[in-house]
Amino acid sequence: MDKSKNIKPLKGIAAILKEQGRIFRDGDSLTKASFFVMGAGNLFRGQIAKGLMYLVLQISFIFYFIVDGIDNLIGLYTLGTREQTKVYNEAKGIYEFVQGDNSMLLLLTGVTTIFIIVFFVIVWNANIRSSMEAQLIKESGKKLPGIIQDIKSLFDSNLHKLLLFFPIAGLLLTTVLPLVYMILIAFTNYNMTHQPPGKLFDWVGLENFRIMLNSAEKLGYTFWKIFGWTIVWAVFATFSNYFLGMFLAMLINSKGIRFKSVWRTLFVISIAVPNFVTLLVIRIMLQDQGALNILLQELGFIASPIRFFTDGNLARLTVIVVNLWIGIPHTMLITTGILTNIPSELYESARIDGAGPVKSFIHITMPYMLFITTPYLITNFIYNINNFNAIYFLTAGGPPTLEYFKGAGKTDLLVTWLYRLTVDSWDYCYAATIGIIIFLISAVCSLAVYRRSGSYRREESFQ
Amino acid sequence: MKDRKLIALNQKYYKFIPVIGLLLAASLFLPFINIKEEGLSVSFFAILIKAMQNTGLFQDNVMLGILVLLVLAASVLAFVSSLLAIFLRKKGAVIFSVLVYIFCSLSVMVVLFTITRSVNASGLINVKFLIKYLGTGYWALFFLSFAGLTVSLLTAKISPGYIVLVLMSVIWLIPILWVILISFREEGGSYTSYFFPKKLTFNNYIVLLTDSSRFPYLRWYGNTLFVAVCSCALTTLIVLSTAYTLSRLRFKGRKTFMNILLILGMFPGFMSMIAVYYILKGLGITQSLIALILVYSGGAALSYYIAKGFFDTIPKALDEAAYIDGATNWYIFTRIIIPLSKPIIIYTLLISFMSPWADYIFASVIMGDNYENYTLALGLHLMLTKQNIDTWYTRFAAGAVLVSIPTAILFISLQKYYTASVAGSVKG
Repeated sequence: MDKSKNIKPLKGIAAILKEQGRIFRDGDSLTKASFFVMGAGNLFRGQIAKGLMYLVLQISFIFYFIVDGIDNLIGLYTLGTREQTKVYNEAKGIYEFVQGDNSMLLLLTGVTTIFIIVFFVIVWNANIRSSMEAQLIKESGKKLPGIIQDIKSLFDSNLHKLLLFFPIAGLLLTTVLPLVYMILIAFTNYNMTHQPPGKLFDWVGLENFRIMLNSAEKLGYTFWKIFGWTIVWAVFATFSNYFLGMFLAMLINSKGIRFKSVWRTLFVISIAVPNFVTLLVIRIMLQDQGALNILLQELGFIASPIRFFTDGNLARLTVIVVNLWIGIPHTMLITTGILTNIPSELYESARIDGAGPVKSFIHITMPYMLFITTPYLITNFIYNINNFNAIYFLTAGGPPTLEYFKGAGKTDLLVTWLYRLTVDSWDYCYAATIGIIIFLISAVCSLAVYRRSGSYRREESFQ
Repeated sequence: MKDRKLIALNQKYYKFIPVIGLLLAASLFLPFINIKEEGLSVSFFAILIKAMQNTGLFQDNVMLGILVLLVLAASVLAFVSSLLAIFLRKKGAVIFSVLVYIFCSLSVMVVLFTITRSVNASGLINVKFLIKYLGTGYWALFFLSFAGLTVSLLTAKISPGYIVLVLMSVIWLIPILWVILISFREEGGSYTSYFFPKKLTFNNYIVLLTDSSRFPYLRWYGNTLFVAVCSCALTTLIVLSTAYTLSRLRFKGRKTFMNILLILGMFPGFMSMIAVYYILKGLGITQSLIALILVYSGGAALSYYIAKGFFDTIPKALDEAAYIDGATNWYIFTRIIIPLSKPIIIYTLLISFMSPWADYIFASVIMGDNYENYTLALGLHLMLTKQNIDTWYTRFAAGAVLVSIPTAILFISLQKYYTASVAGSVKG
């Protein structure tokens, strides 16, 4: 592997530290002062608004850190020490609960505090750089930009800051912060028997991963079984949809078929219906005593009901087949555009050389499609690993089996299991562990796409 | 040797038409019904003779009579078409055989789907009839009908792909048609043994929309619409500005930022739903629609990829020309690039409307038991629980139809933008 890639973040930090050292060395007294009193360099050079902003930020941060921050950090380390206890209240003659520490809240506030500290460090770094910048401008004899110019620059040279502000804020609040919190939970014992506020939970290091990957334990056994099925499911769901969808697209695209867009629309209707609706309807239809079984018996196709969802292996087959119903029109839409782009000379010359339709499919269409759609295939594979709806609405993971941990079922994917561990059995630490493992799987697959994807490698070549 | 009368036809397949027709007629002598348990094995020809001897039998069982007539007509027509193909040798013969085999294929399907009921109703055999009792005669008829259709279509230079397309679109449309039929069904209950409702009514819709004592459907509809529209607007703004920034502007840390987004996107989206729940609780907005909007649009930056691909294809010379004329980046973004980006804007709007419209996971975690603020996915799911399903099944179907109408209209009318954008991203 490329070694320089692994140390890139370290290099970045080293570069920033180096720059700070340089600023400290070259800066005048005001710039040096900004290292300790934020905004000094701007305030005393005439950029009053900017300077005051830095100063206010620093004061409020110090205030926050002393009042809340230190406690929060200690809380993050200990995750609480006092458990909720029952104390006999003699005056009333009853047992009363004395509130203990809430590990969950301690973890959350601790993580938030770390975020605030990181944010402060970034602002602090911006402050010394801005001070140095002001110093250089002043030395060169130019006029310093005021607050108005600064705001104006947000619409021009600093447009990226303006445009990325809301996306980043949204990401931090709804994605990054929860994610860091959840990743940390994977290293605690926050499970059903350690539920705050009644009980405390604590750091356990890599214990959850050890249990999860050890197939001798019930949890680990369940994990490996479900992991295996997830991969099988993803492979079948991806490739069956891909080939059959492409077949449909080629059929509609083929020369003799008229009213192409009418045919396409017929299939598109099934995409347009929200898929939880179709999946729920299909689930009801396929019950042991469901409409399809009754109809098939009534029409004499079968003598006894087909156990679509109650027989483990059949349930697995059923979800794959039903998923075809959902997925084929999608692939059809996507591949249609690409198929029409295959240069027709290729087919022409193949025909002259005496190749039949099957031959030209194997030697022209297939290689071309595979070459172009590999990134799509891999993204689709990851999508299927995470395909919650298809499983949850059809089988809800069932049929459950006693071999598995706490009622996990034969068609459970890692994601639906994760959902059930969170919502039904409150084993958050195991859910988080599974989340991290899914991340690792996706990361390995994405790396493959990433390397191949032309738009990443040749990003500039279009423009 | 070219036959001048058959000039517009594909003569390679012509010779198969008479062969198949004759085979089809011959298959009438193979065992049509074959019940081992009863020791009964009877060809269609034998059935026909029996029917002619005893016409009263079929007057009592009209359906059975119709089936016999259908098969008879199909095989006679197939026989005639093969004679025509041999002796007439005109384009008309081929067209005739196309029509005949369409009739044959439909007939064998009708037989397949109705024979059990007809035979059971007639009481002619002692055991319950099953499809597996159909003998080689029937299956020969079945496959020869479709083979005949294929061959005559090929000869007439019509693509036999139509057969596959028709069959496939039936498979794709039946569940949808079925839900629509259920939504108009008067009889309650979740399971019926018949496809077409016995009585039609609008009552399910009326109850669903007016009676909010048990399930406030109309309110849920409003909630979902509100959430979907708001998060659609927010998501689109976020996606467009992220994609534009990453595609057109060059600044320090851009590649790093893109890598971070890539990594964040690899975590399963709802892994952190519990944390999200507690954060929203901390902000004091759990179980509210605002919380849902925030959750749906907060992480929107992660899906910038397709839009960025689109912006990448707009020539950079445009920006440069404007820049030389003194335009600011803001002006270039809002006045030059955005007006050129109609397809990707429509695509983003469409996707970001449809996903909150149908989301279940986050809504279920955030709303908990607050019925009033449920969205449609949650509400409809609720109607199918064990205690509700019997009375609410037909209304559920009505609800499902109403949920699908907006997305169906949007999707079908904006299909071309969707295809173009997705295909564009795949090609990358």
